[in-house]
Amino acid sequence: MKLEFAAAFACLTVVSVFMWKSQPNQSVQGKTPLVWTSDDNPLRKEQIDLFNRQHQSLNLQLDPNNQGLEKVIVQSLAGVGPDLIDCRDANQLAAYVKAGIAWDVTEELKSRGIDVRAQTWACMHPTAIYDNRVYGVPTNCAANAIWLNRKVFEELKVPIPKTPWTWQEFIALSQKLTKRDSSGRLERIGFLFDWWNAYHFVATFGGREFTPDGTRSDLDSPQAIASIQLMHDLVYKYKVTPSPVEESGMASAGGWGSGTINTFGSNRAAMALGGRWWLANMRSFKGLQLSVVASPFDLVPACSTAGRSTLINARSPRRKEALEFLVYLASKEYGALINDQADGISAFKAQSAGPAFENNPRHPEETYNSTWRQVTETAVGQEGSPYINGQVAKRIFDKQLDLVRVDAKSAEQAMKDAAREVNEEIKKKLAEDPILFQRWTSATGHAP
Amino acid sequence: MNKQKRNLLIAMAFLLPNLVGFLIFTAGPVIFSLFASLTNWNLQEPKSTSYIGGHNFVELIQDKQFWTYLLNTLYFMLGIPVSIAGSLWIAILLNRKLKFMSAYRTIMYLPSFTSGVALMILWKSLYNPDFGAINGALHSLYGFFGLHWDTPQWLLSTKNLAGLEVESVELSRSQFGIGARDAIMYMGIWAGIGGSNMLLYMAALTNLPEELVEAASLDGAGRWRVFRSIIWPQLAPTTFFIVIMSTIGGFQGGFEQARVMTGGGPAGTTTTLSYYIYSKAFEEFRMGYASAVSWILFAIIFAITLANWKFGQRGLNE
Amino acid sequence: MNREPKWIRLGVIAILIGLCLTMLAPFTWMVLTSFKPLQEVESVNPIPKSWQPNNYQEVFNKVHFARFYANSVFVAAWVTFLTILTSSMAAFAFCRLQWNGRDLVFKLYLATMMIPGVVTMIPNYAIIVKFGLLDTFSGLIIPASFSAFGTFLLRQFMLTIPSALDEAATIDGATAWQVFWNIAMPMSRSGLVTLAVFTFMGNYGSFYWPLLIVKSEHMRTLPVGLMYFDTMYGRTTNLMMAASVMSLLPPIIVFVLLQKQLIKGIQLGGVKG
Repeated sequence: MKLEFAAAFACLTVVSVFMWKSQPNQSVQGKTPLVWTSDDNPLRKEQIDLFNRQHQSLNLQLDPNNQGLEKVIVQSLAGVGPDLIDCRDANQLAAYVKAGIAWDVTEELKSRGIDVRAQTWACMHPTAIYDNRVYGVPTNCAANAIWLNRKVFEELKVPIPKTPWTWQEFIALSQKLTKRDSSGRLERIGFLFDWWNAYHFVATFGGREFTPDGTRSDLDSPQAIASIQLMHDLVYKYKVTPSPVEESGMASAGGWGSGTINTFGSNRAAMALGGRWWLANMRSFKGLQLSVVASPFDLVPACSTAGRSTLINARSPRRKEALEFLVYLASKEYGALINDQADGISAFKAQSAGPAFENNPRHPEETYNSTWRQVTETAVGQEGSPYINGQVAKRIFDKQLDLVRVDAKSAEQAMKDAAREVNEEIKKKLAEDPILFQRWTSATGHAP
Repeated sequence: MNKQKRNLLIAMAFLLPNLVGFLIFTAGPVIFSLFASLTNWNLQEPKSTSYIGGHNFVELIQDKQFWTYLLNTLYFMLGIPVSIAGSLWIAILLNRKLKFMSAYRTIMYLPSFTSGVALMILWKSLYNPDFGAINGALHSLYGFFGLHWDTPQWLLSTKNLAGLEVESVELSRSQFGIGARDAIMYMGIWAGIGGSNMLLYMAALTNLPEELVEAASLDGAGRWRVFRSIIWPQLAPTTFFIVIMSTIGGFQGGFEQARVMTGGGPAGTTTTLSYYIYSKAFEEFRMGYASAVSWILFAIIFAITLANWKFGQRGLNE
Repeated sequence: MNREPKWIRLGVIAILIGLCLTMLAPFTWMVLTSFKPLQEVESVNPIPKSWQPNNYQEVFNKVHFARFYANSVFVAAWVTFLTILTSSMAAFAFCRLQWNGRDLVFKLYLATMMIPGVVTMIPNYAIIVKFGLLDTFSGLIIPASFSAFGTFLLRQFMLTIPSALDEAATIDGATAWQVFWNIAMPMSRSGLVTLAVFTFMGNYGSFYWPLLIVKSEHMRTLPVGLMYFDTMYGRTTNLMMAASVMSLLPPIIVFVLLQKQLIKGIQLGGVKG
């Protein structure tokens, strides 16, 4: 018996050594490793290679497996976090700052000649600037517009719309572009959108997630309610957009990007709400004829919902080196690369202008770059609130949105409930934190 | 050294490796989490951790989500009696001389033994409303009988057979149907029906004194009568054990299903208490509050187990 | 039950076969789908029109599947080894040795088995983080190796061994250590095997804990790795099924080979309860 155990132990030890030795080697000889947490968009490789070529003493690596706010924060607090963190919206930024892992780089960037507020598009500011301090540099910019599939338009003999246009005109057009077969299945989809883009609708109606000073939820305003109502009606009343069930049948495999992009790219839809970053995927679809028009709107012309900024982990021992990456993001080379790859458009105003941008000789059919620029100029970003944990706010909003999406609740009721829950959470937070409480009362002039 | 002390030392030498680990990873954490539940510990804002007494528990009672998810947990446990009855039934079927006994037993036990992420991913595909095999089969079945019913939406629907509302603890007609909650419950029944419970019943049945059964049927008692008056009471201790273990397991379950198949949705309908605790602790980082919920869960399990025990003991002694 | 009328017997067999088919149906679908090319996954016909066995090869290309497999087996092996060693020693202490407070401590062990696992997750996570064991093999192995259940099961087994043997040995001058290794352990062999199988299978399929503490891709275990195929970047169902089939093979093989031991273990643990 003892012998068996001893033998087992010996075997295990040998195997352990083998397993330990066969771990992939993370650091390259002599270079300082930098870990960047972002998604595994195939375009990243070129973006990273360019940086590594310019900085021979550094070795930047992508870590796509640990995105997700919760993982990054906990790992960073435990000391095993990444050096560079991608931040996708104001709520995330707030969470990172509150957790103490977003490094305030206002001064450092200024000394390198980078002024985020002045040099980048306004719609990206909420992802990099919190409470008037700069924590990162916008990595790209992804304002939304409407993609048009000219083939489908020609097939259904519908003219390309003219902008600016209202949501009402839009509905009429999309109904003309929707066709169903005899069993009710969608043959041609009039309009495709992702529900996580909800804020685009809210914004173009003139609504907001929070009041401008961030002290209250503004989701129960008539504009916000009307925008969500429209999203619901596009599916259930006008039936120009697939329902969740129809959608789940379309989530097909392969390729980077949501099912929506693949569906649009396979000529099944006439119009779709998306950003210029769709091109990265759609360029591989042969024979697509695309046009872009600005989104319909009632009050605010456009909104950016998919852009990112990159922040530096305040707890990383390689912060100074990581700063070089932020400087790289502001460089001309990187801006040109982004524009060429169509990973959105460059966040820096100076780089998304001029004839080089308008006409890319490698993609002459992309005649709409100027439209993208115009849209980005007028786009707003999604703002957060310092009085609530961003993830909690997002969770509340997403849950109510989910209910509207499956037609289990009316838009009005859902948004009212969301606003109420968010305000309750704000109250809870104020009760815990006296400093915030002070700020809130002086901002609003009364007690919560 | 006196004998008692010496015995203690020897025992400790054997016990220590296990005990140390046990204290560090089980007993210690339990005590620690009891303290944690009395604080507002939030992993994202570690500096502001402070003692807040029973505040978490008060918030818990007023937390609508807590009650909703408790209800979800209970709903999933509705499948347990079905599963136990099914196990008993199969055990009875197998309680005879059969040629391929081992094969039958293996096949029945397979879903239970291989239960895990792989199976859940499989069922998620099976439940796909448009392309899943289940709706495909149902479709053919309906067609065969000439029925023009809609096949259920399964994991995408908030409907359920009890008509439970989505966000509150009440019933409503519009939510009646077959949806995510039922989908998961059925999967649980499939996985559990041929499982350990079946094996336990099989063992108990083989221990049944055959003479009793033979005597009864000789006396002219029908099969059902034999079952109710003789077999069932003999199985009482086994049933007792199974019910208690299943209840404990049922209250604690639902995490993997929620995480792998539905993400807790749609709209929170498949979130059980264990998933809620995970979400509060590792998505919102409210460790203090999550600990409080864990302890309430434990208190519920403890109370129910105690009640089961007392009730069962009485039944056993009759 | 030997005088059962024939038609009842046939009826029972028919029902049993029906049940077996129900149990096997999802597995069959899984295996069939794993051979399908992507376009056919969504078709109504379960049988692939064109067989694509290189899906299995694809799985290894797409992710570090071999690595996940190795990780799962490696971690489970260590956990099993440690669990058996420490649990058997503890069971011996609870069962064969006399000491003050023995029953009290044992009841404590039992009590903790009723505590929901989630209660210990959070503090365990904090401990692992504090000791820098996040994303390491040690972090995966150590917390899982100290089981109250293992101690309980082995104690039940050891109770069934007549104590006459070790009493005789003690009289002859054997130390507790010798009694343990030379008498108690060999006689508990079937119990040890049962516990080994349970522990190995349990840890192999463990999902919650690896999900929490694994950060890098090369450290993932199978259950966490399987989720890789079901991301927002599209669901490659056929590859997913191939991966699932491969990951289910070890438990199935183990069960087929060690049925008798397992069942005996379950029944002993349950009936004596």
